[in-house]
This record gives sequence, structure tokens and C-alpha cells, in this order.
Amino acid sequence: MNAAGEVAAAAVGTVAFSLIFGVPKKFYPYCGLIGGAGWLVYALLYDSGICTAAEATFLATVLVVILSRFFAVREKCPVTVFLISGIFPLVPGAGIYWTAYYLVTDQLALSLATGFDAVKAAVAIVLAIVIVFELPYRFFRLAKRRRP
Amino acid sequence: MKTDEIVTGMADESMVLETAMEAGHILLENGAEIFRVEETMDRICRHFGVKSDNFFVLSNGIFATGGDGKERTFAKVQHIPVRAARLDRVVAVNQLSREVEEKNLTIGEVQARLRQIQDMPGKSELMQILASGVGSGCFCYLFGGSLMDSAAAFAAGLILYVYVLRVSSPHLSKIVGNIGGGALVTLICILCYRLGFGEHLNHMIIGSIIPLVPGVPFTNGIRDIADGDYISGAVRLLDAILVFLCIAIGVGVMFTLYRRLTGGAML
Repeated sequence: MNAAGEVAAAAVGTVAFSLIFGVPKKFYPYCGLIGGAGWLVYALLYDSGICTAAEATFLATVLVVILSRFFAVREKCPVTVFLISGIFPLVPGAGIYWTAYYLVTDQLALSLATGFDAVKAAVAIVLAIVIVFELPYRFFRLAKRRRP
Repeated sequence: MKTDEIVTGMADESMVLETAMEAGHILLENGAEIFRVEETMDRICRHFGVKSDNFFVLSNGIFATGGDGKERTFAKVQHIPVRAARLDRVVAVNQLSREVEEKNLTIGEVQARLRQIQDMPGKSELMQILASGVGSGCFCYLFGGSLMDSAAAFAAGLILYVYVLRVSSPHLSKIVGNIGGGALVTLICILCYRLGFGEHLNHMIIGSIIPLVPGVPFTNGIRDIADGDYISGAVRLLDAILVFLCIAIGVGVMFTLYRRLTGGAML
């Protein structure tokens, strides 16, 4: 619907959380870019019906981790700095809420279904992180800045 | 003369190990992965010529020993309580460990730099509270809320972080603190909703609970398990799951209370 607005919201939200985690100021643009890109992939794949939520989360997380590793090599800093905040839009926060909501409104079947979806999304994130960290370092060396 | 030499040698070795331990402490405390802590400590030791070092790092403790036939025996255990992450310190120690080799720093310089890193000022409380509000508003919009909902989530995010900084982190356990946080956010959003400020209660709450989501232990737990640090990874993931559960309990408790008080009115 308004993909641009959503991507902007994801980027700004990611930067806001990287501030809370104490990420140095000069890395904010990278964090925003990673958060926005992750959400863009997720929204494109999920809203168009090509992928289920878990599949879209997996592919979006793959992009987030690749970008994080790329920028980490480029800036010579720990990958955690980009990864933690970049992954925030994809963490199934909404899933937790719906699970609790259906549980207390006595809709057990719905609660189980949403809870299970949230777990699936979390597993998708885990798999994506683990797999992309297996890629050898040399793929990311391209990102290294040449010394003047 | 000989004795003097030996004495200085001894002092140096334990000083190197102490310094390495200090660097590891800062890293672990502020949200670094286990392998980074071990690698940095090892790098500092090797650079200053201590070869007998052995480190065992867990998510909340560092065990260090040194010593063999030639080098003096050294042993130290440090308990490191889990705190809010400060990634700027992780970046700074990482940079320092790189410079130790590149610029050939002395042990005194390294210690001075570590003290500086410890004293690095963080973001002010006001900035953190504002960031929490902005983050909540953005995520509310992201999950389908209208602009009005996002404005309400912004307000809830501000109040939530005041609670986190002033009540939850200094005074409450993780469990009670997060249940309270989830409940507080739900209460604020219900109030806003009843007053006609915001149209979709669900989206408002989803946006404003996001600052409580344990992103750091979740991500680091996964990384640690992938690196084979199963104990630390499992503890960090357990920490994350516990916080997720507590947020859900908080939201659920407040909904139940609200329905009791209003005689079963659905939202």
C-alpha cells in the first residue's frame, strides 16, 4: 500500500533502537539502511503472497545478516553493532502480543496458531543467522576500504 | 640482581592477564559474543608475550589462569552481572585490541584506554526515552497502525522507558520488571483508546511493547550457539524467552483485569 512509508518507519525505528543499545552515532545510517532493507524484502515477499510469514522472515534476515557482515568488514567493527538493531523489525513482537491476547480472550486455537507462527518466525531468524555466518570471510573482503 | 629481574617479570605477567581480563569484562558486560571476548583476551596476552594463558568465558563470568614451568601461576574468576548493552564500548575495545598490534601500545597505555572506555558517557536518559517513543511509534505504523495509533504508541513508549530507567532496571527483577512493563503499556494504551486517542488498540500495544523486546540476548544467544558456545548461548536464549514470556503475561494480566473491572466488556 504505502511501502515507502513503511520502509522509512522501519529505518527510523531501527535507528531509534540502535541509540538505546549505544551504537556509535556514525553507524546510524548503516543501521537504518539495514532495518529498512530487511523490512522491504519482508513486506514485498509476504504482502504479495509469494511467501509465508516464516519464509519471508528467513529471506529478509538473510539479507540483514549479509549487509551487517558487509558493513562490519567495511568499518572494521563488530558485526553485532549492525545485526542487533537491524533484526528488530523482523523479531515477531506482534506474534507475542496476539498469542497473549487470544489466550486471555479464551480463543485457545487462535492463540496456539499465532504462538506457533511466532516460534516459526523465530526459528527462521535463527536459521538465517547461522547459515549466513557460515559463509567464508573472503566473500565480504570486497567491502574492505582500500587504503589511500 | 637476578631476583629483581624475576620479580619484575612476574609483575608483568599478572599485569598482562589482569589487563586482558579487564578488556574481557567490558566486552562481556556490554553485549559482545563469547568468542569475541576470548579472542580479544588472547590477543592482548599474546602481544605482551604471555603464552600460558587459558580463558573460559561464560555469559556471566570469566575464569582465567596462567602459568607453566616458565611463567608464574595466575588465577582469577570474575562474575559479570548481565546489564543493558552498550555497544559503543564493544566497538571501542575492539578498536583498541586492533591498535595494540598495529601501534604497538604499551601495557600502561592499554590500561589507560580501558579506563577511558569504562568512563565513556552513554546517551542521556532523555535521549533514550525519546528514542523509545520514536521506536514505538515507528513500529506501530509498521505493524499496520494509523498515524493516530502511532502517536499514542509514541506516548506509551515514552512513559514505558521512564518506567524502565527509573523503576524496572534499578529496583525490580527481570521477571517482575517485564511483567510490569507489559502491563503498564497495555494500561496506557487502553486508557488512550477509551479517551478516543488512537483507533486500533492492538496495533498501539504491539508498537509500544517493542522497546521491551530482548534483541541483544536473542541475537547473541543464536550467535553463541552457532559458534559452539552452548552453555552461554542457551543461557542467553533462555533469558530472551523468559523476557518474551513475561511481556506476554503482563499484557494478558492487564487485559484480564480490565475485563473484570468493566464486567467483561470486549475490546
